[in-house]
Amino acid sequence: MNLEKVVFGFFILLAATLNFGFVIGDIDDPVHHNEFELFAAVVVNLIATVLKFGDRTQIGAIHLATSLVADLQLIAASIVWAYAAYAMPDGITPHAMASIVSLAGGALFANVVSVVLLVVETLSFHRR
Amino acid sequence: MTNPLLAFWQRILQAERAPGARRPAQRVPSSPAPRESTIFLVLRRMRAPLIGIVVFYAVSVLGLVLIPGVDDAGRPWRMGFFHAFYFMSYTATTIGFGEIPHAFTDAQRMWVTFSIYLTVVGWAWAVGTLLSLLQDHGFRRAIALRRFAVRVRALREPFVLVAGYGQTGQRLVRSLDMLDRRATVLDIEQDRIDDLGLAPLVVDVPGLVADARVPGHLLIAGLANPRCTAAIALTNDDEVNLAIVMTAALLRPDVRVFARAVAPRIAQRMQAFGNPTVVDPFDRFGDYLRVAIHSPSSFRLIEWLSGAPGSRLPRLREVPRGRWIVSGHGRFGGHVVADLRAEGMEVTVIEPGTPAADDPSMIVGYGTEPEVLARADPATAVGFIAATDNDTANLSMIASARAANPGLFLIARENAPSNHALFRAIGLDFALIASRVVAHEVLAHMTSPLLYRFLESLPRRDDAWASALVARLVRECGERLPDMWRVRLDDAGAPALVDWLADGRSVPLGLLLGKRARGRSHLRIVPLMRVRGDDALLTPDDDADVAAGDEFLFAGRGEARLVFNAVLASETARDRVLLGVDRPSGWVWRRLSRAGSAAGDRA
Repeated sequence: MNLEKVVFGFFILLAATLNFGFVIGDIDDPVHHNEFELFAAVVVNLIATVLKFGDRTQIGAIHLATSLVADLQLIAASIVWAYAAYAMPDGITPHAMASIVSLAGGALFANVVSVVLLVVETLSFHRR
Repeated sequence: MTNPLLAFWQRILQAERAPGARRPAQRVPSSPAPRESTIFLVLRRMRAPLIGIVVFYAVSVLGLVLIPGVDDAGRPWRMGFFHAFYFMSYTATTIGFGEIPHAFTDAQRMWVTFSIYLTVVGWAWAVGTLLSLLQDHGFRRAIALRRFAVRVRALREPFVLVAGYGQTGQRLVRSLDMLDRRATVLDIEQDRIDDLGLAPLVVDVPGLVADARVPGHLLIAGLANPRCTAAIALTNDDEVNLAIVMTAALLRPDVRVFARAVAPRIAQRMQAFGNPTVVDPFDRFGDYLRVAIHSPSSFRLIEWLSGAPGSRLPRLREVPRGRWIVSGHGRFGGHVVADLRAEGMEVTVIEPGTPAADDPSMIVGYGTEPEVLARADPATAVGFIAATDNDTANLSMIASARAANPGLFLIARENAPSNHALFRAIGLDFALIASRVVAHEVLAHMTSPLLYRFLESLPRRDDAWASALVARLVRECGERLPDMWRVRLDDAGAPALVDWLADGRSVPLGLLLGKRARGRSHLRIVPLMRVRGDDALLTPDDDADVAAGDEFLFAGRGEARLVFNAVLASETARDRVLLGVDRPSGWVWRRLSRAGSAAGDRA
């Protein structure tokens, strides 16, 4: 067992699960979506991205690309949240919430691809 | 009027067909340049500090959000993620706008104190890693290699690969630059590549510090680029040169290979790989010395025509016949002694090494010692050659030999370029500068195979012929080395002239050069050689006929070359020179004049 592989898999899965946890619920209901969960998703996604730096293989490149997509979507969701909460006169409306969750949902898709890649990589790795 | 555009295209097409620009016959091997870009190299090394920064920020922001605060009115208030991130951003980067939006409670201040140290440590870690990475020798080499590979791959013109940027390489690259040819350079020493960056060249020459024995380095330096036309091995190590010849011959059989080799054994091994041009400076100098003994004018012509572009006509030197003294019987001395003896000269050798028992003319000892030199009896000799590989010894021997006999013909081997001024000041008749011999040889070979053929056939001509040619070149083109160029009379090289010749007409060369056109001065061009099939005719005269398919080597000033190119490429210019008539050059006027003359015929 390789600790590096454990950490790598842990962060990728955690990024996906946190993201999923944030997205699940009614899309326009602020009560169903926790801001701490979004924060955690952003942080864990960033860490997962950095962990993927410097893998020279083709699958490594796709891994990095999926993480960058997820980062982009989650950061966009956070910015929408901050803008809606502080800069809009009405605060977080159901409309703003729907935008935030759909952005995070896009990130979830990227994270799922990342997990699938991880599984494929693991399955194609033959134990000797 | 000559159509200038036509002449322009003619020049371009001709340039493309230059002998160096052969298309590769086979697949060009791909360069093993690292595919990974440097940004990912940086990111991989920065992984730990980057994760550190993400975690430190996350912890600090989370703490600020969780710790309860109060607003200006004293009501409980919690910081949002947005404000916490904003606060941490300006605090961690030491900008420090203060406690926004409300003054902090003591609990918050404690947390902020902690987070400031945390994030500062994070940044220091990241910046420190980045700086140490940038100073890392391996990393800088990776960057230099990558930059070099990109520059070589981007070369869009034919270029040559020069391996070894010592004295010879420097001379060669300078001359190539003057001739407007591109080059890439490999050398094992950082200092020399640094020099390359500072050299006063018109076009920047990409250089890389690398071992030329490694095929991968040669591929990166140009063998992987289909525009590479020649590989030149000029390192001071014969084995390395052999490795370069080998690599080039095996990976790119279509490029021309030049190599410097001093050991005959290595030269033979090089010949086993394709057909490289191997230059031994000492052997070559001996050959030149023999030419100089036979025919001083031929030697002068060779020296001039194989010189750097624009060089002045060297002075004429007669090599005396009689007894010679050669001090130093090494690689150079050995060749010279053999060549002098082959010319029937008596040679006295001074050499500190073990003497050959059967050689009574060998004096054992150092030529720098007065009594050893006196035993060689310089007073009755005609020439003295200082052939050791030590410049100081050579200079002192030259000085004492001259003191003993001021009439001596003096030849010295010049080893370090830094001593060039001393050798000039002492006033030699000849100096052997090995790097110059090799550079001239390679340059003549590479830039013009036809010129090389011309030079090679010179020693077989007599002195009067060579002397007349020198006089003619000086009369027509001046005392600076003229342009020398090759013209092949075919559809691409001389379209207008080939049309004319295809009509069954023949043209004497003199007419082509404008010698009989009424009221016009002739072109200041000297034809050096005509090649028809396998026959080479040296300095064809004005009556020599010109036929399609001939190849010519001309010498002349650049202006004359331009005009002459127009005569070859444009029908208007051709007719003006050959017939003395001005034909309309535009299509409409040509039609009109043809219609007019046809009507005139009918009438």
